[in-house]
Amino acid sequence: MESQPNKQTGWCNGIAVDLYSGGVGKSCLLLQFTDKRFQPVHDLTIGVEFGARMITIDGKQIKLQIWDTAGQEAFRSITRSYYRGAAGALLVYDITRRETFNHLTTWLEDARQHSNSNMVIMLIGNKSDLESRREVKKEEGEAFAREHGLIFMETSAKTAANVEEAFINTAKEIYEKIQEGVFDINNEVCCTFLLNLAS
Amino acid sequence: MEYFKSGLKSVLGTPQEGSQPTGAETVERLVDRVQSSTLLDDRRDACRALKALSRKFRIEVGAQGMGALCQVLEMDRRDCEIVGYALDTLCNITAPESFEDEEHTSLSLSSVGNIGEQFTEIFIKQPDNVGLVLGFLEEYDFHVRWPAVKLLTSLLDNRPKEIQEIILASPMGVSKLMELLGDSREVIRNDALLLLVQLTKGNANIQKIVAFQSAFDRLFDVISEEGYSDGGIVVEDCLLLMLNLLRNNNSNQNFFKEGSYIQRLAPMFNLPPESDDTGWSAQKVSNILCMLQVVRTLVPPGNPAQLTMSSQKTMKACGLLETLCNILMASGVPADVLTETINTVAEVIRGNQGNQEYFANVMAPSNPPRPAVVVLLMSMVNEKQPFGLRCSVLYCFQCFLFKNEIGQSQLVQTLLPSSTEVVSLTTGQLLCGGLFSGEALSNWFSAVALSYALVENPAQKEQLLRVLLATSIGNQPISLMHQCTMLLLQQGNKVQSKLGLLMLLSTWLAHCPLAVKQFLSIPTSIPYLTAQAGSNEHDDNEKLVQGMCAFLMGICVTFNDDTVTTFSKEKLRQLVEKRLGLETFLDKISEVSKHELYSKAAKHPQFQAKQSSELLLDHEFCCLFKALEGMVIKAVTPKPQGDLVNGSSELSMSPSENSLLLQYKDLIREQDRKLQELTQIIDRLTAEKSTLQAQVDDLTSTISQLRDENMVLRAQTNTGLGQTTDGSTLGHKSWAKSHQLKTDSECKDSLTCKLEEQVTSGTMSDLEARLRSTTMDGTVSTSDTEKELRETQQRLAAAEEKLAELESADSELQKLRKDQEDLLELLTDQDTRLNQLKAQLRALGEKVDDDDEDLEEEGEGYEDEDSA
Repeated sequence: MESQPNKQTGWCNGIAVDLYSGGVGKSCLLLQFTDKRFQPVHDLTIGVEFGARMITIDGKQIKLQIWDTAGQEAFRSITRSYYRGAAGALLVYDITRRETFNHLTTWLEDARQHSNSNMVIMLIGNKSDLESRREVKKEEGEAFAREHGLIFMETSAKTAANVEEAFINTAKEIYEKIQEGVFDINNEVCCTFLLNLAS
Repeated sequence: MEYFKSGLKSVLGTPQEGSQPTGAETVERLVDRVQSSTLLDDRRDACRALKALSRKFRIEVGAQGMGALCQVLEMDRRDCEIVGYALDTLCNITAPESFEDEEHTSLSLSSVGNIGEQFTEIFIKQPDNVGLVLGFLEEYDFHVRWPAVKLLTSLLDNRPKEIQEIILASPMGVSKLMELLGDSREVIRNDALLLLVQLTKGNANIQKIVAFQSAFDRLFDVISEEGYSDGGIVVEDCLLLMLNLLRNNNSNQNFFKEGSYIQRLAPMFNLPPESDDTGWSAQKVSNILCMLQVVRTLVPPGNPAQLTMSSQKTMKACGLLETLCNILMASGVPADVLTETINTVAEVIRGNQGNQEYFANVMAPSNPPRPAVVVLLMSMVNEKQPFGLRCSVLYCFQCFLFKNEIGQSQLVQTLLPSSTEVVSLTTGQLLCGGLFSGEALSNWFSAVALSYALVENPAQKEQLLRVLLATSIGNQPISLMHQCTMLLLQQGNKVQSKLGLLMLLSTWLAHCPLAVKQFLSIPTSIPYLTAQAGSNEHDDNEKLVQGMCAFLMGICVTFNDDTVTTFSKEKLRQLVEKRLGLETFLDKISEVSKHELYSKAAKHPQFQAKQSSELLLDHEFCCLFKALEGMVIKAVTPKPQGDLVNGSSELSMSPSENSLLLQYKDLIREQDRKLQELTQIIDRLTAEKSTLQAQVDDLTSTISQLRDENMVLRAQTNTGLGQTTDGSTLGHKSWAKSHQLKTDSECKDSLTCKLEEQVTSGTMSDLEARLRSTTMDGTVSTSDTEKELRETQQRLAAAEEKLAELESADSELQKLRKDQEDLLELLTDQDTRLNQLKAQLRALGEKVDDDDEDLEEEGEGYEDEDSA
């Protein structure tokens, strides 16, 4: 883990990674998590945006640093720069668009290649509120996650369903790894959090 | 040079007698050797020699050796020495500047400047080359790492955009550079710092990655190692990099705030002990100025409000604001540092109520203690203070009152007469003093500062109207508004003072009819504005004054409540049209926004003026102007009667089009009126019709009822007659009765005749009148008829009784029969006549017909009686 020293209680440094074509609602997820609001029309993420929020795990205050990365192919090389130094990543696809699900494998290879091998990856199927337009079954998401050793969840940035849980569960996982000493951080809780979207 | 030559000899062998090889030839041989020698040692020696020649014969080495050097980087990367030479050589040939001992034999001087750029272009044609150089950053050997850093810096200097893209695209490119900040060899760390400063210029993606790679932590580490503001130029470089990362990059600003880095800024502004005169070296001044820039970058006025607010809050909470205020009040601070600190404090408090309140309570350590605001304003109206400092105070004052209702009202309060005698100097007094001082710049500063108390605050505009000034002993006190207007008249050629006052008055009068009223009541006000707006001087600044006067007049029209009858809305409008001409007037107004200083002032709240003469317009005023210009133009332009406003489209029309439009509008209005009238008529008629229809229905039902009853009665009468016929005996009595009946019948006959008469003589109007009569009438007549019917029934019953008596009177029967026949004949006669009449009446219309039938029924009622 890169040293993201924390002077207070703890840092959780994460990246939200978005797989190319964009528009799966990763930025909405982040906004829902950090500001508790939903913004239906969001500008395309250009490059990377930063967000932060405090959470409590085991009575300990941990600040999550979230880097929301662009989903488009054009930004792929930029996104790669964020893998190393991230403790966790949320990989998001859009359940109403199969192609975003199909891109997961490519993304995962890329992430595994450029990241710390201990990076916690959570797979997220977003837009669960749009059941009528669903193209990817929940079971498929579960199967993919099982196959690649990821945690899985379906969320809705619109209704906020599972958003909180998605981030906090990932953070918990990271926190456990820190406790186990998998992440080599002297005394300081520090984790980078990557939010990457498979779009 | 001798050393180089001897070195060359050892590499190339002794040159042939008599023919001294040219530089180009030597380079060619060396390049050949680098490319084709099989022994590493030979290649290394040749490379070293190339490096030695690369300054003097820069063009030759670059032109011929580029390929060979790149080949070395690729093939011999394991040998640090040769790589070092190759990198050094590349550094030399791509250097942005030229060398003193460089020889330009074949090239004209004009192209010398961009040799480095051209070689850079050639080098990066193969992006892998840059990748190779990035790779060498990981090599710890000083002789490789350092030239690699320098080479990248040169390349960046020459072709920044391309190199940025290549580095972004190469895996871990940025992180390799970031690692260098941790290098224990200061030269490398410092050069890497310079490289990063270049790299992060104008590329938000790189800025974010650099920030992600813990740049802020590393930079703060370096800064504290170097001793904060007392550190050398490295501290400044660190701050420059920090500035690059934060400027216009909201994501990084947010990260900076969330990462608690603001807290780490505060110790940077620790002051040297006051006795220490050596505390302010040139480097320290630069460092502090850079740090102040960093603070300002986090809270610029143009930023998203939410982000700025939370950063401002943190700055106050962590004591940064306090530290900055301490610098303000400290002695011995260089003027430029003080100026920039004031600007910084300004932006840290701008629009943030908590911080503004804190600032209002800062006291200066003077004797007696005065609020810092007062002390600052004293500097502003003091012409001996440096210009920049005075500007910054005004900016600070602007930010202090920005969205600060409390501050605004407190300032105005100091000017209002109060019961308690105020001994100490107040902000209001200072500004009034400045307003009336002889120095134009002071006038301008004070007028603008005072206008800040009125921005978007109607309450204070009205409060300020109450301010009275005692001009000299014995004279009547005069209102501030009056005094301002007088000053305006007395300014003569002092454009700056005039503009200041005009801006103050415009801000004051805008959206405040009371202020307009007071202004118009001053006898000299409008004549002065008219004269100014109508004058025709061609100086740029004079034009600005004229435009501002026109604008102020426009405000007087727009916010006029017509209480001053001599200058009512309409009268002012006519004044504009007749005295100035509308076109001229509008032209004058547009002069304001055409002025070159207008766009400058409108762009940024801070004053960009470098000298006093450039200080004419203020940002807040420009905002007001922008907001009101359209409204003012609309208000001044004559409107058609009525308040139908299509202003925006009309404004863009020519007068002829406009008059045409007016014609059409009149036409439409006329048609609209007619339409409304007609609609009303239709409504009335519909209502009438429905009432009448109801009456008609009523009457029809009554009639049919009566008809039914009539039928029943007739049937009964017939039965009665039948019984009479069957009866065998008829007595005299019955005869007499019959006779009586006959008489009765005759009587009825005459009644029927009368009715006939009535019917015949009843004119149409008579019938219509009856028709119009209310339903009540209808009911009354119906009940009348019913009553008669009831009587008839009773009589009928009596008649039946009598008829029963008549049964015994046989002899009389014949006579009676005859009589009956006569009667029947008579009835038939009447019937026919009635039918004739009916037909006659039918010709007069349906309503009449109904009524007729009604009458007929009545007639029949009588008949029934008769027949009974």
